[in-house]
Amino acid sequence: MIDGTRFWTVFVREVRSAVRTRTYLALGLVTAIVLFGLAHAGGGPAGGYVPTVVDTLVAVEVLVPTLAFAVGYRAIADPAVRGELDILDTYPLSTWSYVGGVYAGRALLLLAIVVVPLLALGVNVATTAGPETTVFASHRGVDSPFLFIRFIALTVLYALSSLTIAFLLSALAGSRGRALVLGLAGLLVITVGGDLAVFAGLDTGVTTSTLGGALAMTPAGAYRGLVFDQVLYVAVPGRSAFVPTWVAVLSLLFWWGLTFVGATLATDAA
Amino acid sequence: MTGETYLTAEEVTKTYGDMTAVSEVSLDIPSDAVTGFIGPNGSGKTTLLRMLLGVERPTSGTVSYDGPAAERQLGYLPQRPTFRPGFSVRETAGFYADLVDDDPDRLLERVGLEEVASRPVSGLSGGMTRLLGIAQALAGDPPIVMLDEPASGLDPAMSRLIFDIVESIADAGRAVVLCSHELPLVEETADRLVVLESGHLVRTGSVAALQEQTGGPLHETFTALLDQDRATIAAPEGTQS
Repeated sequence: MIDGTRFWTVFVREVRSAVRTRTYLALGLVTAIVLFGLAHAGGGPAGGYVPTVVDTLVAVEVLVPTLAFAVGYRAIADPAVRGELDILDTYPLSTWSYVGGVYAGRALLLLAIVVVPLLALGVNVATTAGPETTVFASHRGVDSPFLFIRFIALTVLYALSSLTIAFLLSALAGSRGRALVLGLAGLLVITVGGDLAVFAGLDTGVTTSTLGGALAMTPAGAYRGLVFDQVLYVAVPGRSAFVPTWVAVLSLLFWWGLTFVGATLATDAA
Repeated sequence: MTGETYLTAEEVTKTYGDMTAVSEVSLDIPSDAVTGFIGPNGSGKTTLLRMLLGVERPTSGTVSYDGPAAERQLGYLPQRPTFRPGFSVRETAGFYADLVDDDPDRLLERVGLEEVASRPVSGLSGGMTRLLGIAQALAGDPPIVMLDEPASGLDPAMSRLIFDIVESIADAGRAVVLCSHELPLVEETADRLVVLESGHLVRTGSVAALQEQTGGPLHETFTALLDQDRATIAAPEGTQS
């Protein structure tokens, strides 16, 4: 299914291409400026890791899929338009190896753009926050760098899922123009469309008892719910999750896996 | 020519909705020979080529590969090859060569691009881009190489060079299939012609055999064959000879 050598060839080309594209460096800088700006405007770094997560969560929830779509919306549409996919059809390169290699290369780029500024923000918190944040949490109600690492890990999962959705839409697009339109539409659906659909469902079957589960079915809702449950509420005694944790985890993994398979099948048919 | 058949198409048809691009075409592609597909624009040459390549699925009919075992059976130069920007000629050839464990320098030497190996692909002329496309088509030594309009839009000297390379590819024992409107060059290079019109196979045979039927150079042969075909299609049933 996936041939390691050819997967690596495709992956290395993606990474080289990313390193040579200055736009991505600019995206990383903008991301860092936005995150540091929001965190410092809210006073998060001086307050600790959890206050910093509170200050940046909403921005990260929107920024991550935006960056994922910027990195991925032309990932498959471009080579399809260039005729590269037709040429590669004549090579002993499986679609899984090709899409996997392109995805891995762009995922590495996306994670560099997202994770490096977040890590830098974590270091900033470590050097500016009060002494109560320098200990590792051994019980609920204590701020800790582990909570910030959890936040980054959940953000990585959210970013990877958003990127596969961008890949699926790119593979379905068939042209650069449609790739842009589908990318913007997909971004809107992820950032606001999912929540709106769930809240609209309150009139047609979604109840207050099933609202948490319904919110966890969308990528953004699952990510937000997991951050609240695994990061913010850990430091706040007496609060419990508003989405079922296992549903949220499965939801993100489902979006990640399903849309990757969809992107590969759509590339095969392109 | 060994006369071996490397590729066989049987009754292949391709339709897009109500439009038939290729209609029940059967043909063999022999080794050690250049097979030229000629026909007016929209006659189905590219569609037929893409079905032979396997990148387009026929609506009906079959295409079977009968050539020697090879890691890569078919090489392909598309009509307007475009390569990923931001990479040099050597890096681009290297990417394709790595997929089939080939040597990119050998490929570039084969088409005479070794002198511009460090140049970015975006800085190549149309002719050089086409040569890089041919180098890529040769990666992995495929027994069959298919070239779609390899010289369209190029100056006469570059067209000549490309057809010389095409000839040398067939001399190395491969089967070469090309679509082209460069009839004088096709006449010189092709061993066998497939004439298409409106998706139908009008005639197939050696250049000499086709010329014998109609006389004159290839462009006159081509026009005469198409006129015959149009007359046959237009004639009322029962009056066709």
